[in-house]
Amino acid sequence: MRFDTVIIGGGLAGLTAGISLQEAGQKVAIVSAGQNAMHFFSGSFEEAAPVRERVSALFAAAGVRTNAIDGLQLMPMGKFQPVSLTLEDVTVFPEEHIAEKALIVNFTGFHDFYCTFLAETLEKAGTACRIRFVRLPEMEHLRTSPSEMRSVNIARVLDEYWEKAVSDIRILLGDEDLIILPQVFGLKDASVLDKIRTALPARVAFVGTMPPSVPGIRTQMLLKRRFEVLGGTFLMGDEVTSAALHEGVVSSITTRNLDTARLFADHFILASGGYFSKGLAATPTQVYEPLFGLDIDYPAERKDWYDADFFAEQPFMDFGVKTDALLHAVKDGEPVKNLFCIGSVLGGTRKEDYGTAAGLAIRTAFAVVDTIKGGNV
Amino acid sequence: MKRNEYDVIIVGGGITGAGTARDCAMRGLKVLLIERHDIATGATGRNHGLLHSGARYAVTDQESANECIRENMILRRIASHCVDETDGFFITLPEDDLNYQAKFVESCLAAGINAEIVDPKEALRMEPAMNPDIIGAVKVPDGSVDPFRLCAANMVDAKLHGAQVLLYTEVTGVIKDGDRVVGVKTYNHQTHKSGQYYANITVNAAGIWGQRIADLAGVKIGMFPAKGALLIFAHRVNGIVINRCRKPANADILVPGDTVCIIGTTSTKIPFEECDGVRVTPEEVNLLIEEGAKLAPALASTRILRAYAGVRPLVSADNDPSGRNISRGIVCLDHETRDGVKGFISITGGKLMTYRLMAEMATDLVCKKLAVDKACETASTPLPGSGEKSFREVAEKIWENPTTVQKAAAGRLGTGAARIQSADSLDQSLICECEEVSVGEINSAIERLDVNGLTDLRRRTRVGMGTCQGELCGCRAAGLLAKAHGCADRARADLQDFMTERWKGMYPIGWGDALREAEYTQWVYKHVLGV
Repeated sequence: MRFDTVIIGGGLAGLTAGISLQEAGQKVAIVSAGQNAMHFFSGSFEEAAPVRERVSALFAAAGVRTNAIDGLQLMPMGKFQPVSLTLEDVTVFPEEHIAEKALIVNFTGFHDFYCTFLAETLEKAGTACRIRFVRLPEMEHLRTSPSEMRSVNIARVLDEYWEKAVSDIRILLGDEDLIILPQVFGLKDASVLDKIRTALPARVAFVGTMPPSVPGIRTQMLLKRRFEVLGGTFLMGDEVTSAALHEGVVSSITTRNLDTARLFADHFILASGGYFSKGLAATPTQVYEPLFGLDIDYPAERKDWYDADFFAEQPFMDFGVKTDALLHAVKDGEPVKNLFCIGSVLGGTRKEDYGTAAGLAIRTAFAVVDTIKGGNV
Repeated sequence: MKRNEYDVIIVGGGITGAGTARDCAMRGLKVLLIERHDIATGATGRNHGLLHSGARYAVTDQESANECIRENMILRRIASHCVDETDGFFITLPEDDLNYQAKFVESCLAAGINAEIVDPKEALRMEPAMNPDIIGAVKVPDGSVDPFRLCAANMVDAKLHGAQVLLYTEVTGVIKDGDRVVGVKTYNHQTHKSGQYYANITVNAAGIWGQRIADLAGVKIGMFPAKGALLIFAHRVNGIVINRCRKPANADILVPGDTVCIIGTTSTKIPFEECDGVRVTPEEVNLLIEEGAKLAPALASTRILRAYAGVRPLVSADNDPSGRNISRGIVCLDHETRDGVKGFISITGGKLMTYRLMAEMATDLVCKKLAVDKACETASTPLPGSGEKSFREVAEKIWENPTTVQKAAAGRLGTGAARIQSADSLDQSLICECEEVSVGEINSAIERLDVNGLTDLRRRTRVGMGTCQGELCGCRAAGLLAKAHGCADRARADLQDFMTERWKGMYPIGWGDALREAEYTQWVYKHVLGV
């Protein structure tokens, strides 16, 4: 099988690159192992401000609506964080005093949404808060198993019964001008969010829960669909098993599901993520990139990989594949001519130029797409 | 004027202090226990959790061996909900001297330990995780014991018998009247208030920190802090304790406990000043894995959850300051006869295993001084929650058709599980999925067991001790604490402390899946939660 570009990794970086290249008329394949960082996405594209119009346009075409405005996001533990580009699920506030009175609503028995924390922060900023719970009989079956009251399971129930929840919330609502709800709505269809906003007589703000992230999973599904509608080949639940790399050029890869069939391409993009996604791996003595054995700079002594303070900057988070200025992967000191790296597999090595987290994923994806489209590789 | 008067003040909330408080209270004394952190924060919570048969000491120290086996049998009776009767093997590897085995068995039998030579093939059938190259195996009545639960049970029973307990309260000074200790000065780290408490006798049960307490009283105890590092593996690789049949050395005991197993230990002398912040080094981790894999080869490829270290309160047996005469046995010092300081006793040395005996010795001395004639009953009176055989039976007595969550709680709390709210599905929903800890169990711990924060909660319920090391359940439990204490700021600060403490044990083993978990946790806390 021959493609113009093969992308390894189906997270935010891989999908952004895949969609852009398909839009430019390329024939692209994405090999995706399954779960990725989108499953614990906060809803805010940190450090993506320099490309926010371009991201918004790409996402809009996929049916993902965004807020490209500067403001504050209310985080799950009650902190406010500055944002410049978010999913439509995130309510962006101009200031910390977000309302006179807020009603915070949770579902009984859902422990991954922190009403008490939210209330305390908001009250400090002058918003009087009331916490109330909704208990839908349709969720009872989740409770029979003690570990089922989790965001995605609740969202599946609400995909069907959100109107019942809304009518309960309407009864609970007093004179509040703002209703705060957990981000467990519109897993299948984001238009539910607008319907809820219309159906309730006060403003509605959706605030994040513990992972898995309902907005993140929905976004990932929509981006994947967009990629496939454009004609891209998405190899779901597959894994790269080997790569043919000779004299600084990758000619093909094999995957587990395709068995002996090889995937040939002019360009390869490594978007395999960090440690969690297994784009990077570590043993007691080395940190390595498991697929191509690409170069990574890190201290030889293991004690220098970590900071003893959990909340300090952790050195291991900055380890990543070395690249040249055009993001060509470097192996044994030499750039590989047709292999690019994007997203978290870069660690913090490119944070000066492209930021970290979601910003890194999107901005490096765009940079590599432009290089490939420009033919100036 | 009567000011905070007690018969006895006990300094230290580890197992020795808790056991002594229980014994004193059961003999009718008015007891105050003072602990500067939480219960079981020192060596009590930082060891193997091995219910020694005594076999390890049989060859070198018959007295310790005999103490161990007697206490072993007592704990099986009085603390059945804390004990897992796994048995143990002492295995001989090809590089070990098989001649040692005969001497070992003989010494065990002389100390009263039922040691039985088992054919290596049969031993491997009984414990398949063992190194298949063994050339000898001896079966002994080892087991495992949950030190947190044991300490909590002693504390609860002491309180049931009228003892008062002050946690997060540090002894800052000893009040003397001439040559007699009459009380202590304290500082409470939570209320930031100072206090003074008076008693006829003060018992120093502060473990390695007992040296400092003794200093305050003007007497010298020569402590020799020895750091021991251990690793927790993510699976219960072995069902039976595995020891090396040779002279005690590094990393030669593998103990199964609950859902995990623990290899240890190393032994390194450290300066006294470093006792408060011991960390595990990469060299220690490497050594533990290498030696551990000789006991059970699967350890080389099993995920490690955590590294931790404790400080053994070793003490010179007499006044010899050189440390040549270090004892691992129990040291009970009457400072009146030893140093001419009245009303002051130190109980130290010893082992988790022999805490009850240590408590008995200290209490006997207290009673003698107070002329109280009451016999010790701790060897025959079960601890709260104990007295039943299997946790399944316990669970079935409390609940009709107990769920797995209820069985897990019964395993942790014994009959005490009856107090957990589990009437409806809300109480049964899980906060910690790794360890199956329910909302009801956590709320009941918050209500009844002096829980100030998440780390306290972990010691009492195992929240955050599983595979994910607290990244998810920490937040959920913080939510419950915020609600119970009505203060989110405190719960948030507490969550940060909890994660810092969890990380301390994670980064020394930060590679493979542990590093994946660490990256995920970094993501969740920094980007999702914005902590």
